[in-house]
Amino acid sequence: MNWLQSREQRELMEQMRASRGRLYRVAFAWSHDAALADDLAQEALTRGLSRIDQLRESAKFMSWLFSILNRCWIDHLRAQRRDVDDESLTELPSDLPGPDIHAERQETVNRVRSAIAALPLGQRQVVTLVDLEGFSYAEVAEVLEIPIGTVMSRLCRARGSLRELLMEQVAAQPRLRSVK
Amino acid sequence: MNQELKFSDEHLNAFVDNQLGTQECDEILTAIATDAELGQRLCELRSAKELVRHAYGRVPNSRRPANRHFSIWSGALAASLTLVVGVLIGWLGHQSATAQESPGATAAWTARLFASEPTRILIHLDSSRSEQMDAALDLAEAYLAKVGNARVEVIANNRGLDLLRARTTPYAIRIAGIKSHYDRVGFIACGQTIARLRGGGEDVALVPEAAVTRTAIEHVAERVQQGWTYLKI
Repeated sequence: MNWLQSREQRELMEQMRASRGRLYRVAFAWSHDAALADDLAQEALTRGLSRIDQLRESAKFMSWLFSILNRCWIDHLRAQRRDVDDESLTELPSDLPGPDIHAERQETVNRVRSAIAALPLGQRQVVTLVDLEGFSYAEVAEVLEIPIGTVMSRLCRARGSLRELLMEQVAAQPRLRSVK
Repeated sequence: MNQELKFSDEHLNAFVDNQLGTQECDEILTAIATDAELGQRLCELRSAKELVRHAYGRVPNSRRPANRHFSIWSGALAASLTLVVGVLIGWLGHQSATAQESPGATAAWTARLFASEPTRILIHLDSSRSEQMDAALDLAEAYLAKVGNARVEVIANNRGLDLLRARTTPYAIRIAGIKSHYDRVGFIACGQTIARLRGGGEDVALVPEAAVTRTAIEHVAERVQQGWTYLKI
């Protein structure tokens, strides 16, 4: 089995092994559903394994793998919403219930997750790929198969919305009253 | 000068995300020194970025416990994973025994398999294209006939599951025939694909010869770890 001896291949395999947690985390940030995120990560790895011959540059492995995750996610959404095309899917407002506020007591975490869950899908994907995975704008464009200008505008709108949503929630919180 | 006009939000986001060149970064850094409002905008953007990272620093555990059944992603099985994908790369690199490759190369690939005569082969199908379904069954049948003691499994996932679905397979009779003729053959369906289809409201009934495994990828990894030869159609 001399193909196992290639250093590049061994590194690629190590990346594959290590990438499951990253895929899962981003899938969770997109779906806020642990079971679904698990399925998506597993499915992305399955597809990745079966198509690994299509990977031309090992340097692009991660963006290639995340582009497969994106395709799995789109396929899942399309199965749920057969009435809309891919482009419209990214603009759909979230119909997710949002994270269960009572499940965790980390108030800030829940607030931010709720704000992310409220973003339209396209914005949610861009902001999580940039902030969680540290992908460059060019890589995100590759992963999501969209122009780099769209990446920038979605990110801009996402951060603007996040800022507003978070500020609103902070303002809506009951304030401490001084007790004499 | 009003910096809001000079630096768009997209520009400032690119700065926060380290996507600008040195000169553009210098321009913004210089401007911050004299524009408190610009500094505030950048601070808010950076805070938003940090909050997102913080919010997903710890996510709920995957529903798959590390030691339940078989988890190919556990550290203990890293070596087998290397083997799995190594084999994949090896076979796929040689293989492309599909429509894209020349008949000569396909013949050479098949000849190599038949010459080495492994006693256990796993044939993986993830496409519903009829020529690939044909190829999977042809290979399974030919190999069973050629190597008397060989065990052969055909595993189907994604669209390949159509081969084993009672309502979609064009090969129900052929599968039944192969199975009745050779007790050394197995037809395996991916449980994850079935669950996904059912989740989408589809009725998934399999041909009676099919067994179900939890996920195709885990099954492949397990078989390769046990020494099976893996073939992707």
